Amino acid sequence: MGQLVINGLALGSIYAIVALGLLLIFNTVQIVNFAQGQLLMLGAFLGITGAVTHELPIGFAWIVTLVAMMALGLVFMAIVYFPLRGKPPFLIILTTVAMGIVLENLALIIWGPLPVSLPSPLTGRPLRFSGVVLSMHQIVIFSTTAFILLAQWLFLTRTRFGIMMQATSQDLQTARLVGIRVNRTIAVAFALGSALAGLGGLLVAPIFLAEPTMGGILGLKAFVVSVIGGFGSLPGAVIAGLSLGLIETFGARYISSDYRDAYAFVIMIIVLCVWPRGLFGEKSSERV
Amino acid sequence: MKTKALILGLCACGIAIIPSLLGEGYLIQVLNLAILNAIVVLGLNFVTGFTGQINFGQAAFFGLGAYATGIATLAGAPWLAALFLSGLVAAIASLALGVPTLRLRSYYLAMTTIGFGEIVRLVLIHWEEVTGGTSGLRAIPPISAFGFRVESQMASYYVLVFALALAILFALRIRNSSFGRAMIATRDSEVAAELSGVNTIRVKVLALMIGAIYAGLAGCFFASTIHYISPDSFTNRQAVLLLTMLIIGGTGSIWGAVAGAIGLTMLPEAFRFLDQWYLVLYGSAVIAVISFAPGGLASAIPNVVTRLKAAR
Repeated sequence: MGQLVINGLALGSIYAIVALGLLLIFNTVQIVNFAQGQLLMLGAFLGITGAVTHELPIGFAWIVTLVAMMALGLVFMAIVYFPLRGKPPFLIILTTVAMGIVLENLALIIWGPLPVSLPSPLTGRPLRFSGVVLSMHQIVIFSTTAFILLAQWLFLTRTRFGIMMQATSQDLQTARLVGIRVNRTIAVAFALGSALAGLGGLLVAPIFLAEPTMGGILGLKAFVVSVIGGFGSLPGAVIAGLSLGLIETFGARYISSDYRDAYAFVIMIIVLCVWPRGLFGEKSSERV
Repeated sequence: MKTKALILGLCACGIAIIPSLLGEGYLIQVLNLAILNAIVVLGLNFVTGFTGQINFGQAAFFGLGAYATGIATLAGAPWLAALFLSGLVAAIASLALGVPTLRLRSYYLAMTTIGFGEIVRLVLIHWEEVTGGTSGLRAIPPISAFGFRVESQMASYYVLVFALALAILFALRIRNSSFGRAMIATRDSEVAAELSGVNTIRVKVLALMIGAIYAGLAGCFFASTIHYISPDSFTNRQAVLLLTMLIIGGTGSIWGAVAGAIGLTMLPEAFRFLDQWYLVLYGSAVIAVISFAPGGLASAIPNVVTRLKAAR
């Protein structure tokens, strides 16, 4: 039992981090990025290229990966978002889907189809408390998640720039009118959103192996988490992420492991039918 | 008028002699697949092209139709009953998905249909006693109705062309009806459509359902002309490819949808040598089309023609 809780929370923390990246972009430009999972996959492979292929120290490889992911987020924005500003949102969503196809197949060409493993930044013997095993990598996952939550909360509520980002997400036009450089806040949202996806990849790769097709399902789980939490709500996404991790772990153990990936979607469809605005209510207002 | 009839006649002759040029074999099977995709994409055009809602479930509806026919005819049901069953299963699934989500903002349908596609794939793989698991269903009986049995790929081709013609005619009729205008009004502005007395939720649900029925019926034809189905043909990847066929052909254009589906089903055969790069170029092409010609080729070609005429 205790072991399943730890494993579930570790998995759920990763879902929460990826969902936070998704929401950072969504809250700023009202676009759901359907390539978030592929960005996560790139994060994992950049980490592997740094730490395994070039044998960099793992901490350094992490920093290089996160910086590269920020740059990639900007390129992503320039290709996918900027040429289509003001066009119907469904067209932009479709370009993110197409970008996902491009990234996944480029990764297949560069890194090949075989699964690869990434070492964890913390190595050592797992801790044991009365029958429950806590691996070093799970400690990394929990501490990273706690750090990200704290940092994001401080950034959005205590810094000038974070408050400007919140203003942009509430109303882009008015934010521009009061003198906020909207383009700059959008760029930061894409850079940080992409870096969070990359961080998700770095955390996932030591548990599951990394392969170019890993992004699809993980990206979808991030949407599910966002929907269940009430699209736009950050605390909602975190709680929904942790819950999904627990549900999947327990479901795989006690119901059926074949349908492990289906639980998320079943829960999402039920939540949409019963509480259409998610468990924590949609944060952003409907725009006409 | 006379030239129009002449062109139509020439097209009909061309379509009629294609099989004898290709001969029975692999190429005609690819062509049949292209026609089936055209029907599925025509269906997708109702909800995505006309009504502006993103539907990633079209491949799953197609799969439900195919498996309904496969399971029913292998159990000995007559083909016409299987055809009806396929349409019905897809329609019910679309209602179950559409009614709760189409009240909400547009990306909810997108996510729910992706989730649905994933659930359908997992069920097809793991419910082995009924679906045959990853190895799928084999030796599905051919189309047979009114005393005819359609055995060869060549004969199937003519049946499929007929089905596609019906699908196009029906789509054209709907497009020019008050329901067609209601769909387009919903896409252009839901608020304005509501104010003009359009029940936008009903329009969206109906558009999704008509599209799903197209996919379900095409699935029936798929199972009984290819004779073999497996979960691989109905994944979310396939759903994305169907959407890109519509985008490249032209969202909201009936002829664009048909051309996009047939062109993009045949194209990979010609570009085999590109291997992995094919999908990279494919994705890039989709981004380029959306950015520079959001109406797809259906809008780009007339634009080029008028420009050429103006230059002259």
